[in-house]
Amino acid sequence: MSETPLLERRAADVGAPLIEMRDIVKTFRNAAGEFTVLKGINLTVRRGEFVSVIGKSGSGKSTLLNMLTGIDHPTSGKVIVDGVDVYAMNESQRSLWRGRNLGIVFQFFQLLPMLTLLENVMLPMDYVGMYDFAERPERAMELLRMVGLEEHAHKLPQAVSTGQQQSTAIARALATDPPIIVADEPTGNLDTRASDRIIELFSELSRQGKTIVMVTHDPMMTRRTSRTVILTDGEVVNEAVAKALPLLPHPMMREVERRAEKRVYSPGELILRAQAPVEHFFIIVSGTVEVLHRRAGARTWRVAKLSAGDFFGEIELLRGGKAIASVRAADDGPVEVLVLSRQDFHWLMERSVLTEEAITRIVQQRLEEGRRARRPQGGILGGLFRREK
Amino acid sequence: MRPRWQKVLSDIWDNKVRTLLVVLSIAVGVLAIGVIAGAYVIISHDMSVSYAAKNPANIEIRMDDFDEDFLNTLRDFDGVADVEGRRVFGMRARRVGDTAWKVLDIVAFKDFKANTINLLEPVRGVPAPEKGQIVLEKTVLEEISIAVGDELEVELPDGTTRRLEVVGVVLDSSTSAADFLAAPLAYITLDTAPSLGQPELYNRLYATLSEGQDDDAHIRAVFADLKDTIEKSGYDVGLTRRSKTHEHPLASIVNAVLGILMALGVLIVFLSSSLIANTLSALLQQHMRHIGVIKLIGGRNRQVFLMYLSLIFAFGVMALLIAVPLGGQGAYALAQFIADQMSFSLLGYRIVPISFVIQIAIGMLVPLVAGFVPVVRGTRVTVLQAISGDALRLQAGGPTRWERFQLRVTQALARRGIHVPRPLLISLRNTFRRRGRLALTLFTLTMGGAIFISVFNVRVTLNEYVRQVGNYFLADVTLDFERPYRLDEIRQYAMRLDGVTWVEGWAYASAEILYPDGTVADNINILAPPANSGLVSPLMISGRWITPQDRQKLVISEGIFDYYPDLKVGDTLPLKINAREEAWEVVGIFKFIGVEGILGYAPYEYIAAEQNLARRSYSYRLVAERHDRAYQKQLADRAAQAFRDWGFHVREAVPGLSTLDDASESLDILVTFLLIMALLTAVVGAMGLAGTMSMNVLERTREIGVMRAIGATDSAVMRMVITEGTLIGVISWGLAVVLSVPITYLLATIVSLAVFNTPITIVFTPLGYIIWIGLVLLLSAVSSVLPARNAARLTIREVLAYE
Repeated sequence: MSETPLLERRAADVGAPLIEMRDIVKTFRNAAGEFTVLKGINLTVRRGEFVSVIGKSGSGKSTLLNMLTGIDHPTSGKVIVDGVDVYAMNESQRSLWRGRNLGIVFQFFQLLPMLTLLENVMLPMDYVGMYDFAERPERAMELLRMVGLEEHAHKLPQAVSTGQQQSTAIARALATDPPIIVADEPTGNLDTRASDRIIELFSELSRQGKTIVMVTHDPMMTRRTSRTVILTDGEVVNEAVAKALPLLPHPMMREVERRAEKRVYSPGELILRAQAPVEHFFIIVSGTVEVLHRRAGARTWRVAKLSAGDFFGEIELLRGGKAIASVRAADDGPVEVLVLSRQDFHWLMERSVLTEEAITRIVQQRLEEGRRARRPQGGILGGLFRREK
Repeated sequence: MRPRWQKVLSDIWDNKVRTLLVVLSIAVGVLAIGVIAGAYVIISHDMSVSYAAKNPANIEIRMDDFDEDFLNTLRDFDGVADVEGRRVFGMRARRVGDTAWKVLDIVAFKDFKANTINLLEPVRGVPAPEKGQIVLEKTVLEEISIAVGDELEVELPDGTTRRLEVVGVVLDSSTSAADFLAAPLAYITLDTAPSLGQPELYNRLYATLSEGQDDDAHIRAVFADLKDTIEKSGYDVGLTRRSKTHEHPLASIVNAVLGILMALGVLIVFLSSSLIANTLSALLQQHMRHIGVIKLIGGRNRQVFLMYLSLIFAFGVMALLIAVPLGGQGAYALAQFIADQMSFSLLGYRIVPISFVIQIAIGMLVPLVAGFVPVVRGTRVTVLQAISGDALRLQAGGPTRWERFQLRVTQALARRGIHVPRPLLISLRNTFRRRGRLALTLFTLTMGGAIFISVFNVRVTLNEYVRQVGNYFLADVTLDFERPYRLDEIRQYAMRLDGVTWVEGWAYASAEILYPDGTVADNINILAPPANSGLVSPLMISGRWITPQDRQKLVISEGIFDYYPDLKVGDTLPLKINAREEAWEVVGIFKFIGVEGILGYAPYEYIAAEQNLARRSYSYRLVAERHDRAYQKQLADRAAQAFRDWGFHVREAVPGLSTLDDASESLDILVTFLLIMALLTAVVGAMGLAGTMSMNVLERTREIGVMRAIGATDSAVMRMVITEGTLIGVISWGLAVVLSVPITYLLATIVSLAVFNTPITIVFTPLGYIIWIGLVLLLSAVSSVLPARNAARLTIREVLAYE
């Protein structure tokens, strides 16, 4: 069969873009008028990533998932999955494509009530014609064994617990060995114990190399994912801002992004000079920066490397004083940063007490660490922390 | 308007397909009952009124030729209001230029303007022909393609032809009203008769009574006196008939057919009510969440109940708006059809008030009754049940016994290495998910199927009976002459005709069966074949067949039981024959068609001798080497021509099977009625199935979305729905096969008692079963295609968002 070469190719392509959403706009029209749910989403998911999508109710998470799975049409934009333009196919072709390439797990499991667990798992193989007819029961049983439901295989869904139903739904999603698993709130309807079991299953799938995109509200779940995409009002929040200022409300993250100036520094280019006044707050979007310190008469040495989601410049803005260290782009590539003016930084601190408290706490921590290290005080080292987890 | 009534309005308007389905479900029942009830009232009224309006003869006597003077002597006969004489004779006729001949009974009137009995109703042209002209009865036009102004060619006994101008078409409701097998009629003036080789004399007497026209005993008494007088005047009397003025001779048959149609109409109402119950139950299911919300914000059971009752009421009103006008039109159309078949005219289009009332009652009551249980059940649902939807369903109890049984069967098959594809399993198990709905759907489809199949069985049963009756007429050609000829002579000539293998001369006698008190019970036609004739193969009920030695002994048809219910073989029967009262011994009783009157058989040897016709006969039976219709017809033509050429006075030569064809055609009219009703029930059944499949699809929209999400293509979804529909069709066929047996017995018995006055042996034919399986598969597939297409068209977003 053709599955093996495909798997081999998938293994070889780990890290390459698998899902690309380009300028996706989705507008619903009803009697009350038009309502744009997705406002030009650009999102790339790489092979093997475990991505959680979060956002408030109505932020467009499920619509985003519908775009990704080919369940609904975007008003404009393209979805490319593994090189295939999803919306170039008709509905029926898309069903078949979906059956082969995506495994979908729903919040309410959506097992067919008239089929046993085993039959539910076999159904996608029947629909897409994968595996020999006689081989299908064996494969389905293997998947049920994997999710710990072998002994319940011949029961109807209503005869097992909700957690077991969701485990079956995951087994069904894996029936055709799709490279991508898409899940919509898979633990949203489960108790804690069942949720833990499902989270463990997804983690295991991720370790096996499946690409997983999951809408969730469950913090336990997001902690296990390799990446979190935040949606707010139909837009994706810049992941660096979200990482740097996690306690900001989602709309404010978007506001920070809007107020910030985007700057790109060439490899080795100086961003901050020691002893120079600091007028900006920097959030690294991509690339790496080096923090360099020099004692009087001594040579310069690198005290830290910062990467995407890290920030610097906040201590000087909060406490006053000049920079005691220099910051420059690392030699291995350009650096993209979002730069917030002093005025905007203070606006941010006023608007988000939680963020202010968190940054203040961290500044104090860093200053304390600096004193212990008998290093000069009031310097740049306070900014050398990673985002609070 | 209050918001809750606005909700009722939007429930009607927003889901137009569902509204249409419910309205049509109600309308079809109302329409069926309206059509049948309306037709019943129109026919039963108009049939007798229109028949009576033609002043039908109470007495008809076929006798020797008589003249106007003799007729005048009967005008003042005691109890007789009026008499008319006519000459009726059979002739072959065709449109000039045609090749095929048709036998017509030509009726010659002395004076059309003086016609007072068996009045003719003008249809087109002139109703009264002049000398050399002819007027046709409407039914002739079904046999011969001819119009007013054309020329009709008639064949004289000597083989020569005459041409008559067709000047008009009339409707004659009374002359052959009682005769299923009569030839079509045509009318000429008596002074035209000589040009057709006929004397200017009458041979048929029609009389009306001055009183007691609807009193059978009185008619019988006057008839007996009249016949006695005629015979005493030296005239021989042949076939006679008596009729009531206000009762069409075929009224009992028509009423029986209408009765069956009425029963089927009631059945259709039942079927449509199950359709309504199904649809309303699904509607309530769909509205569960609405009901939950209404109750949550303070709505009481009574208010919810009234809302849905009003909805049903509105459906009923809409159905009536469709069904009542259509029902009125349909009733008149059906009545017109029956009237055309039975050759009587209606009194004009009108609204039948009782039918109107019945339709309104059914249109209002049936939906309310059918919807009562679903509405009560729906309104009693708790808020929690109503708004929980999926969550509550998920917490519902374990699998039912039926589900466990299905699983065990699947597993048993799997252990034997038989794995049913899951998509097929879905169809199979879906079929039995809503068992209440399935039961109602199967009920409608099964009844439709069982009646459909039964109608075919009844048709074959009737035709088989007619075929068996054909055993009394086994000759290939019946050759009748204007005068008696010697047996030897005719046999000698006939055997010269190619293909003729056997010739028999038969005699005939007409008599009256008397009650023990000497009054006339009924006429009897006594056929007299040679005792050893092989051309009669009777269906004996008891006793034996005739022998050459029989003297004043006869074998009689079971119609005699109407007058002598306790008659047994060996009893004697008082007959009046040749003006003499005699006691004849009944030596056997056989089955025959009741409406054709009472028939008897006696040996030729005895009857011919009694009539001074020993070794001579008017009527001969020819047997040929082949017995198919085409050959019989060809031989009849050849025989008539040849005997005319040889100088014999041939009256007519009739192919044997043609009589049976006429009888079968008449029965086919009945069967057509039944088939129309069967198809109507089948349509209701199909509507039920379509409704069920739509509801199933609607309820399973989310599941269909899930199937699409895991890879089901459009065709896979359609296949699933169509398979389910087809499975229901096949199950209904199986049930219909079983149910068709009692229904066949019931229908066949009702029809045979109405038509033949006797229950007959039931015959089953595979035809109905085969056609129905084909039809039910087609109907099932078609009924499922639309819901299936809709299911396939739904986008997954729609179905996953569906509530």
